[in-house]
Amino acid sequence: MQLFFTIIKSDYLQRTRSYPFLVTLCLTLAIAYTFVPAPNASYSTIRIAGYVGYYNAAWFGYVTAIMSSVFLSLVGFYLVNNGIKTAIQTKVGHIVAAAPISNFRYLASKMVSNFLVLSTLLLTVLTMSILLFFLYNEGYTFELIHFLKPYAFIALPALFFVSVLAVVFEVFLGKYSILQNCMYFFLFASLLVSPPKNEMQFALDVFGSKIVMHEMEETVQTILQTEENIDMSIGYVIGNTENNQKFHFDGIEFSTYFIVSRLLWFLLGIGIIIAIAPFFHRFDTKEKLSLKKHVNKVKSQKQLKDIVLSKLPKTVVNYAILPLIRTELLLLVRKGRKWLWLFNGVGMVLLGVLPLQMAHQFVLPILWFLQVGRLSDLTTKETDNNVHYFSFTAYKPIRRALFSQLMAGVLLMLFLASPLLIRLAVGLHFDSLAIVVLAGLFIVVFAGFAGIVSKGKKLFELLFFMLTYASLNGLSFADYYGGLAHGPFYLQLLFGVVLILGSGCFIIRRYHLKMI
Amino acid sequence: MKLEIQNVSKRYKGNTYGLRDFSITIEKGILGLLGPNGAGKSTLLKMIATVSKPTDGRILLNKNNIVKDANYMRGQLGFLPQDFGVYPNLNAYEFLEYMAAMKGVGGKNLRDRISGLLEGLNLLDAAKKPIGGYSGGMKQRVGIAQALLNQPKVVIFDEPTVGLDPEERVRFRNLISDLANDCIVVLSSHIVSDIDTIADQVAVMKNGSLLTKGDQETIIALVSHKVFETILNKEQLSIFKTNHLVVSTTRKAGTLKVRYITDSPVENSIQQQANLEDAYLYLTKNN
Repeated sequence: MQLFFTIIKSDYLQRTRSYPFLVTLCLTLAIAYTFVPAPNASYSTIRIAGYVGYYNAAWFGYVTAIMSSVFLSLVGFYLVNNGIKTAIQTKVGHIVAAAPISNFRYLASKMVSNFLVLSTLLLTVLTMSILLFFLYNEGYTFELIHFLKPYAFIALPALFFVSVLAVVFEVFLGKYSILQNCMYFFLFASLLVSPPKNEMQFALDVFGSKIVMHEMEETVQTILQTEENIDMSIGYVIGNTENNQKFHFDGIEFSTYFIVSRLLWFLLGIGIIIAIAPFFHRFDTKEKLSLKKHVNKVKSQKQLKDIVLSKLPKTVVNYAILPLIRTELLLLVRKGRKWLWLFNGVGMVLLGVLPLQMAHQFVLPILWFLQVGRLSDLTTKETDNNVHYFSFTAYKPIRRALFSQLMAGVLLMLFLASPLLIRLAVGLHFDSLAIVVLAGLFIVVFAGFAGIVSKGKKLFELLFFMLTYASLNGLSFADYYGGLAHGPFYLQLLFGVVLILGSGCFIIRRYHLKMI
Repeated sequence: MKLEIQNVSKRYKGNTYGLRDFSITIEKGILGLLGPNGAGKSTLLKMIATVSKPTDGRILLNKNNIVKDANYMRGQLGFLPQDFGVYPNLNAYEFLEYMAAMKGVGGKNLRDRISGLLEGLNLLDAAKKPIGGYSGGMKQRVGIAQALLNQPKVVIFDEPTVGLDPEERVRFRNLISDLANDCIVVLSSHIVSDIDTIADQVAVMKNGSLLTKGDQETIIALVSHKVFETILNKEQLSIFKTNHLVVSTTRKAGTLKVRYITDSPVENSIQQQANLEDAYLYLTKNN
């Protein structure tokens, strides 16, 4: 057992002692800050028929716990679903495979480690929620129990189950990260939609948020003296906050039935890990998945001929940037599975044939989002592939190498958007055309900036996902590609953001190279 | 061609040093860099290659301070790092063309030069297959090829023979000898035999400092008349090791033939011809 805990501890430390995790913590703090809006804020996170709670301890505790449960269940999955992948990449997996540890113990250690990482983020949110209480509270006393209870019974079981799901997805879909991400998103969305109204259904709600929402709904129904369904929103809703009315929310006395159901989620998770353990590949992935590669394994030639350097043709100085852009483009195009290009092809056809507004508003962001895997390591692939010693000692590595990386990304995005661009040009919609071109630039410099700042892929993957999700749901502030109607300065604003992010890429990369 | 490293230090967090007040002058020919793990060899080579910057001191190439003007070095550098990677989706031609573009070299001869290098490094057959399918030794040879793309004047090889089979090692040594006619070649290795057959000069490092630098004869002279062989049994060996610097042991018919370095040999010892490995061990163990 001691060994088991040592493995968990090492795995946890390996994941958390990194710069990207520090960035994630900062981001979590920033997001947690928005979970309970400031009294004069123009948005709300939980609103029931125009009502929000008085800012007492229960409101802060329960609202932030629900928001964490939902938000971290979505985002957290993408943060932790690489534990086994990392073991494969670092080749630690081979050592594990040859060690006497059982599949169950290994997978369980990954699950617990995932859970500890997510719990660390949850603790960050809890700390921020307590700080927010002291910042915004309306004269109510601080009651710690109203913070601890919802976090323990709502958020923790949800995050535990997400940790289990991350392991399950890695075991069965380890090589298909895009498929993993998409499938989890649909699973998450389907778990959110059902509207449970009785204890049995509350028990089946993995996020544990619905029982609280139901309690709040009943309170507001009592105030409004109605038994009809009323509007409830969870998530960021912009505007219409000045007419908000207040109601008292004093927390929930959870029934034993509900508490037991939350504990059962833990047991179910462990049961799932036991059930999938026999199917774990135990790092024997290459043999299973790329048999074809082995058949065609490269063989070196046998006839040896001595090399005489002085007789080799001489090269000349040539600082042309086109060969760099060409190779960067080649790397982008060849990244990922070939069959994913089928989706790109379908997307491009849809951009060409669907009604213009639909193509612009829905197809373009989805098509671009499909490139998340290609773009996320645009400026970090040298380090990921350990080629940075060559790249960083290249002639003018920033002005040439970084520029060509960004340029290749832009070319790819514009190529994918080309059917739409042609239609916009033919229809003389030059404003929209300019916006789409700028949007392509924006998403590439955003990817470059996020990669350089976080030194990893995850930050961009998460933010791009959230941006796409928000924009598809009609939130105009997230509409970077101009699918919705905007004011007169939208183009200038987008241009400004592109300029800032682009400059940021060059300045921070220059700083990093100086600091090596 | 002159590379001067003047009082260079590399200080890390916690006031630990990778390299401390290190000075050396390197001229045309092959300098072999020897030292145990953690001696600072890779730290030094990375600073010469402009991958990292010294905390103190200057590095001059033909009187140009390359700490301030890294591009002066980069324009004429060929560098093979100890631990490098490749883009697995590119084939050898594409990868080397990319490296050439990074280095700022091209021209109509580039493709022929790449073919020549690939042929000489025994990679031509595999050159159009993705590098992801290459063995460790083949990737190492791609690394060697990229270092030679731009007719470099300064060539730095950090542990270049890792992953190469014996035949490839011999071919690599021949290649370096050819290269050294008009270049500065700095070669680091743990394997003394990689250095002693080709290096004009040898530098021995330990704990971030230079222990000695000179031609092989001068360094070997430090232990001439001090290397002996004797026969011991197994039980005697551990006590013997506490009193003498043992270079190697060979098992022979239940006894051990022990090669050791000492000023006062034990009875029945036979004096041996000293070599670079003896001198290297003598220097690194006694300092």
